[in-house]
Amino acid sequence: MPHVVTDQCDHCRYTECVAVCPVECFHADEQRLYIDPIVCIDCGACVPVCPVKAVVDVFDLPVDARSSIALNAELSKVLPLIKQKQSPLETAEARRLALGF
Amino acid sequence: MTQKPNTVLGACPHDCPDTCSIVATIDKGRVISVQGNPDHPFTAGRLCVKVNHYEERVHSPDRVLYPLRRVGPKGEARFERISWDEALRTIGARWKALISEHGPQVIQPYSYLGTQGTINGLNVGDPFFNKMGAAISERTFCDSGACTGYIMTLGPTPAMDPESFVHSRCILLWASNPMSTNVHMWPFIAEAQKRGAKVIVIDPVRTRSAQAADVHLALRPGTDSALALGMIHVIIRDGLVDQDYVEKYTVGFDALAKRAKEYAPERVAEITGLTVAQIEQLSHDYAKAQPSAIRIGVAIERNGNGGQAVRALSSLPALVGAFRKPGGGILQLPLWAFPIRWDKLMRPEWIKPGTPVRNQWKIGQDLLATDDKGPIIRSLFVYNANPMVVAAEQGLIRKGLMREDLFTVVSEHFITDTARFADIVLPATTQAEQLDLMFSWGHLYITMNQPWIAPLGEAVPNTELFRRLAREMGMDDPQFSLTDDELAQQSYDWSAPALQGITYESLKVKGWARLNLPDAAHYAPHAEGGFPTPSGKVEFEASMAAGGNFVLGVFRQGSEEFQDGSPVDSLPSWTPPKHDQHRPLTLISPKSHAFLNSGYGNMDRQLSHAGNQQVSMHPDDAARRGIMHGQNVSVTSSTGSFHALADITTDVAPGVVQSAMGYWGSGMADGAGVNSANPARYGDLGRSPAFSDTRVEIAPVA
Repeated sequence: MPHVVTDQCDHCRYTECVAVCPVECFHADEQRLYIDPIVCIDCGACVPVCPVKAVVDVFDLPVDARSSIALNAELSKVLPLIKQKQSPLETAEARRLALGF
Repeated sequence: MTQKPNTVLGACPHDCPDTCSIVATIDKGRVISVQGNPDHPFTAGRLCVKVNHYEERVHSPDRVLYPLRRVGPKGEARFERISWDEALRTIGARWKALISEHGPQVIQPYSYLGTQGTINGLNVGDPFFNKMGAAISERTFCDSGACTGYIMTLGPTPAMDPESFVHSRCILLWASNPMSTNVHMWPFIAEAQKRGAKVIVIDPVRTRSAQAADVHLALRPGTDSALALGMIHVIIRDGLVDQDYVEKYTVGFDALAKRAKEYAPERVAEITGLTVAQIEQLSHDYAKAQPSAIRIGVAIERNGNGGQAVRALSSLPALVGAFRKPGGGILQLPLWAFPIRWDKLMRPEWIKPGTPVRNQWKIGQDLLATDDKGPIIRSLFVYNANPMVVAAEQGLIRKGLMREDLFTVVSEHFITDTARFADIVLPATTQAEQLDLMFSWGHLYITMNQPWIAPLGEAVPNTELFRRLAREMGMDDPQFSLTDDELAQQSYDWSAPALQGITYESLKVKGWARLNLPDAAHYAPHAEGGFPTPSGKVEFEASMAAGGNFVLGVFRQGSEEFQDGSPVDSLPSWTPPKHDQHRPLTLISPKSHAFLNSGYGNMDRQLSHAGNQQVSMHPDDAARRGIMHGQNVSVTSSTGSFHALADITTDVAPGVVQSAMGYWGSGMADGAGVNSANPARYGDLGRSPAFSDTRVEIAPVA
């Protein structure tokens, strides 16, 4: 039961998490990130650094967001690994403000 | 006046090599959250799956916050609240009566590293029990066997800085899974890998670290010393020895070479299950890529050949000259760099000659043992430990704790599987509520933990627990009036070179400091020998072996009597394990990724990460027994059995099964954990446990 990236990452993709991850478990598509649950060691380093609080310990995941678990597991298998911090998406700031952060 | 949330610099209390610097956020006397200190070079802003929500442990509704007295049958965990005065009077009266009737040796302390703080940890009760004359507790839970083997070979030296691994060209992670049990070291290994180092994991199981390594060599459990001797064979045979280093800084090369001659790769392949090509490649990779580094995990000692494996592995870096440069050598316990005043912590001068020594692995047997005067243990005092989960022979321990005549006192955070049997339970503080100064056995930083909040309820630190007990027992030595600040200050030799530039006061401000040693890019303490052994050199042939098998004083309250003393081969060796034709599988029981020994085995968050108690087995072994993935199975040894869910995976080799230690039996259907099946058998050196060397059979539960 690892950590997951939730829908909050959509249109943001700040990748602050990638910079602090000690094991390279983040994968990405054009819009957001996903955690490989096999590689994640649950160290939690990424949780406080995400500007939109998109990384969540599965233990804390609300029932209506539990679809994130399968989504992260499936998409991290097929999407490319992100090893270094990248620039946020152009929509990131607007999205962050909309989310209230 | 309302107070805003503020932050406090703390230190993780757990028995783990990483000893993190913690930033805790406090609001109105409550811990709100904890984070890894981003300024600390080793912690680097991260904690781990165990400690990320330490506030949940501190403020758990299940905390024991007041002294309790048993009101139901033993084991049922029915208690009522009593006052501290009454608890102390009850304990004092029972102990004084036992001492006058039977002598103090029928009182047995039992503890380990529930907290590993210098003043509240390993030795906090030693002055009290040494003064009393109680039986000595020999605590060989962790790395005692490796310490004996390592010290016989290299002496008590840190030998390497873990941060210098970034400079290594070849890294052997041997019986070590840093991704789960040394997580803050992984980035240094990963950085070396990025710079081109080959990372090789040697482990019977395809661990998380093995998955990230360049090479995984899945040897059979208990064959590590044979593999290391095979490497020595190949290194000598193929002319890869650093002759100059060996001549100047080692003793016993000819004898070692003669021994290693018996371990040709063909024979080692048969013993270990690896191929000749793998053994030769490993030897060449290790010898040629200088500097090369070996990280041994605590698991190395947990079989009948573990101590001698450490002897062989500690010999390897000298053989190839790896000690010459930063990033070369072997990392066992950098604890040896800390100038700790063990004498002040233990007060061994108070031990009366003839005081018996009882090893903690044998607690089940000892609780049931009698001599001509009756039971040898009539009162058990447990703190910093949960033997019902972490010690072998769980069935015997349960039977012993059920004894009506046994007076059991447990100081704890929770009603653990052990505390369920207590007559009196005392409330202990968490790290949030106590002062301590932390050494580390995984890096070179000293860390201070100042109390984050006031003690909850009537909980007390272990230091205060023993001050109160000493008063009750009428001990008036000034030792028992020392404040926590005084205890912490006298626990270190501040005049030692390693602490120059560091003061107690400066630690109060900054929270941590690197020991006064060269930085990781320059730290190579044995570039030109200088080993703290009797000869001053690496002892391939160990002169200390002549004294027989021993446990370091620090693990036995400073006692020098009643050492094991059994003969020790002065050269690294391998002895074939005993097979059991009715139980062909070898069970290994490593630490869980989500628990810290038994710590957190009762916490919902960590349980959600750990899942149910599983036993991992190879598909061939499962098919032969008609076992399906996820099926409930019984795992049975000659000692006992437990139930687990079958996890069918090629991560373990055929013949090997794995089940993690740390689950609480009280939370499981049959009340038994993996230590029901583990015998209380010693490894070859330092009375290490041999609990990764258990023969079992597995069957579906009907």
